[in-house]
Amino acid sequence: MYIGIDIGGTFTDGVIISKDQIVASVKVPTYEDISNSIETALIEVLSGIEPNKIKQVTLSTTLITNIIAQDKLKKAGLLLIPGPGANPNNFKFPCEYKILSGAVDYRGRVIEDLDMAEVKDACKYFAAQNINCLAVACKFSQRNGSLEEKIVTFIKNNYPEIKVLASNEVSGLLNWIRRANGAFYTITTGEACNEFDKKIKSTLNKVGLNCPVFVLKADSGTLPLEMSLRYPLETIFSGPSASTLGALACTEENITSVVVDIGGTTTDISLILKGKPLIAEKGAYINSFPVPVRALAVSSSALGGDTPILIDNGRIEFGERQGSALCLGGSTLTVTDILVYLGYSDIAASSDVKEEVENYAKQLGLEPKKFSYSILDLFINKIENKLEEMFRLWEEEPAYRIWQVLSSKKERPRSLICLGGPAKGLGEYWSNKKGWEVVIPSYAHVANAIGAALARTTIKFDFFADTERMSYTTSIGGLQGVLKEPLKNTEDAYRYALEIYNGIAQKWHVDKNISLETLYEEGFNVVRGWQTVGKIFQIGIQTEPGIRRFLKGEKAND
Amino acid sequence: MTKRISSKTGLVFFPAFDWAISPTHPEREERLLYTRDQIFEEGILDNSKIREYKTRLAEEKDIQRVHFCVPDISAQTTMAHFISAGSTLKLADAFMAGEIKNGFAIVRPPGHHAMRVVHGNRGFCNINNEAILVEYLRKKYGFRKIAIVDTDVHHGDGTQNIFYHDPDVLFISLHQDGRTLYPGTGFTDEAGGPGAYLKNINIPLLPGTGDEGLFKVWEEIIKPVLSEFKPELIINSAGQDNHFTDPLANMLVTAQGYAKLTEELKPDLAVLEGGYAIETALPYVNLGILLALAGEDYSWVKEPQKQSKVLKQSADVNKYVDKIVKYWYKELSQKPPSKEELYGSTGIYSDERYIYYDTDSINEKQHELAYFCPDCPGIYQVLSQSNKSYGQNYKIDGITIPIFACPVCQKKAYDLWETEKEKGKSDIYYLQDKVKDSYLTVGYCSKKTK
Ligand SMILES: [Zn+2]
Ligand SMILES: [Zn+2]
Repeated sequence: MYIGIDIGGTFTDGVIISKDQIVASVKVPTYEDISNSIETALIEVLSGIEPNKIKQVTLSTTLITNIIAQDKLKKAGLLLIPGPGANPNNFKFPCEYKILSGAVDYRGRVIEDLDMAEVKDACKYFAAQNINCLAVACKFSQRNGSLEEKIVTFIKNNYPEIKVLASNEVSGLLNWIRRANGAFYTITTGEACNEFDKKIKSTLNKVGLNCPVFVLKADSGTLPLEMSLRYPLETIFSGPSASTLGALACTEENITSVVVDIGGTTTDISLILKGKPLIAEKGAYINSFPVPVRALAVSSSALGGDTPILIDNGRIEFGERQGSALCLGGSTLTVTDILVYLGYSDIAASSDVKEEVENYAKQLGLEPKKFSYSILDLFINKIENKLEEMFRLWEEEPAYRIWQVLSSKKERPRSLICLGGPAKGLGEYWSNKKGWEVVIPSYAHVANAIGAALARTTIKFDFFADTERMSYTTSIGGLQGVLKEPLKNTEDAYRYALEIYNGIAQKWHVDKNISLETLYEEGFNVVRGWQTVGKIFQIGIQTEPGIRRFLKGEKAND
Repeated sequence: MTKRISSKTGLVFFPAFDWAISPTHPEREERLLYTRDQIFEEGILDNSKIREYKTRLAEEKDIQRVHFCVPDISAQTTMAHFISAGSTLKLADAFMAGEIKNGFAIVRPPGHHAMRVVHGNRGFCNINNEAILVEYLRKKYGFRKIAIVDTDVHHGDGTQNIFYHDPDVLFISLHQDGRTLYPGTGFTDEAGGPGAYLKNINIPLLPGTGDEGLFKVWEEIIKPVLSEFKPELIINSAGQDNHFTDPLANMLVTAQGYAKLTEELKPDLAVLEGGYAIETALPYVNLGILLALAGEDYSWVKEPQKQSKVLKQSADVNKYVDKIVKYWYKELSQKPPSKEELYGSTGIYSDERYIYYDTDSINEKQHELAYFCPDCPGIYQVLSQSNKSYGQNYKIDGITIPIFACPVCQKKAYDLWETEKEKGKSDIYYLQDKVKDSYLTVGYCSKKTK
């Protein structure tokens, strides 16, 4: 049996899934300290169930989001080693930074050494301001981390009170700005993550669970709790992962569908293509700072059940949320009220909102029913526009190889999975209007927790080897080293990459049954003066995103 | 041609990681690998001022609008060529949709040595990306006057050849002197056909010319010529082999030089051409050009090799730069002879020559004819015979109706085509009707379909 816990803004949901059945589900309030909510949810959901039957607990937390939103980040400084290129002063960084001499090039060669006097001055400067977290980021440090490491060592030796992190340990992605920001957020959230980890461990003890605990990531995969201490940023933005996987659970294999999660104030759209959630081409942003975190492609709009209806110059517009729906004691007419009026929702009686709907309609000289439908049409149009934009982005993902340009991405979904409070009504209307197949899972109220429970560990692994320099690097932070053998061809490189991947997969507890997907494998001749002096290999492997299994009897639901 | 204003720079990056002429050829998979690394590592693709586009395929018609591919397009192209050319068209569409203010296609394979008639690969090129772009822009969006500035170290002989008789396309090429470098052409006296005289400006430079010389010819020749011509659009053939580390040429231009020239030139669309210092130049020059197009600070883009090499121009080079500046100043300030005078009493321009295809070792014998018309650029005809050591040779006869041809010339061209086919002296006959956007081939193809 698997437990999934999803921490939302107001409620924390917990479910237990056994094979393809939901055996228990609970909803508890979300407390300020989310570990308390997790504890309560675990105790309640486990009532009457033997803890030793639980194989795994997966958490979808808002830990990092909360720390950032509540401005509880530790004060930090950045030490940047840009080398030649774009002017780093034109980028915005989340904290104060100092620019240092030194440079590494694209092949990982040190082309300019550090000036240790500068390093000393910079550290002195930050120390004088009582900053005790420093992140170090050097361009191309994923190809050669030695300059970053030198600074880390210097700080550890001279400023033992300062915590320091090198960007190459956070990610091996090609984008030093994202790595720098990533290192900043990792080091500034580290303490809170450690505390959380301790609390969770004691909670598990208390409830008698000794199974492994996983944390859901933004790209819909999971990672072990202990790894989340090293890569805390991976756990940010897991909410859309949870809901998308939760929606996926009611489908069948290889389905292509749109997931619309309609809440009170926002609507999130994500895509499932041939059974796999679509991952955004570019990484995530935190407070508008790009970070090296893979995330699902999610389009959010400020539209939901509580969205008020305004009349502006004889036209219907949507406003910003004021409070709850009129029929639930609010003060303005909302989308939910319209659903109630038209009979698409039974949370209140149509007569409760009749008068107000008629008032609004009169202002526009419209018949109340017609007025109401035009509101739903407007709502759906806005979502469709977002959807269109998402498709366009997906179809327009850059391609750097001929085969990628030629493989078409034309298959667009014609089905919709609706989650959230107003989902039922809007889904039904969508289905009537567009003729799409619309699925509203019966478990929609705990879909996120189900998504968490069914999530599996996924890894996207990029391997890069340079046989002239006999070095290799990987996208998963901190892994770079000397090649133990000269790789002669792509097969050699693939084998070598796979070995490293397997080591990581073991640490991450990746299920061995998940099939591996090769994203690209290519070799480049490094030719100098008409002589081949080496080869560069790039291998990309990933465990396919998706869910552990589908839930039974959920499909027949229209 | 109303356009929305955008502040973005479009980028199509197509490194063709799965295509090469041959494994160790300069035009191989590795060529844009480090450029990819540098541009991605910089984090500038997250900059809202730069928008990356997915490439697309050009259509056969886009190629027919420019070339006589012998015996047909499929013999002269691979998928990589369709994509490389298509990348420029993608940017053209984005530009015209008002999504971008300018754009850069960092793509391979290159194209500026590909001439109108294509028997094989010349100078690593099969089809001419910039020419395909120009004809696409004119056909689809109604442009008339377009300028192409070729900053590759090699003379853009293909582009010159294609627009040599086109008065509405200004072609300016600065390059290392043809006496010391492939393709051996690009002298000042190649100044355009009688109908397009002084619309082809060659600026041959001595080996050892650096940023200083580059800016002198920019200020003194290119800039005034452009302001006189008043193009509706400027395209830059952004070859990068003028760089001081290029293994195939001998110039001293730096990444800063290229970026500054881009900033001055303000091309609407730039297309990568050559550049074979794939480690020491391309990552930095491509980045410099991209930043300059986006209006971002490029002053930090410095090659690590720069400090160790003397990049000062010699006195001889300075003298030569002055000489060419003076030459063009004099040429351009005189009133040029009229079209009638240049065509002479026959009303026919006729030129016979041999063209060598270095990559594919083909010798082509070509006879070009341009027919005077008082009302339009006039009909163009080419008779060409290939001579290769292996494979089949073809004799072709191609007729072009220029895009702004008058009705009389259009009719005349069809009549000429009929007469030529009647004579039956060639293996393949082409009629390139750019007015109707219709491209006819008879001979090889019809034989094949029979
Ligand atoms: Zn060149
Ligand atoms: Zn005419």
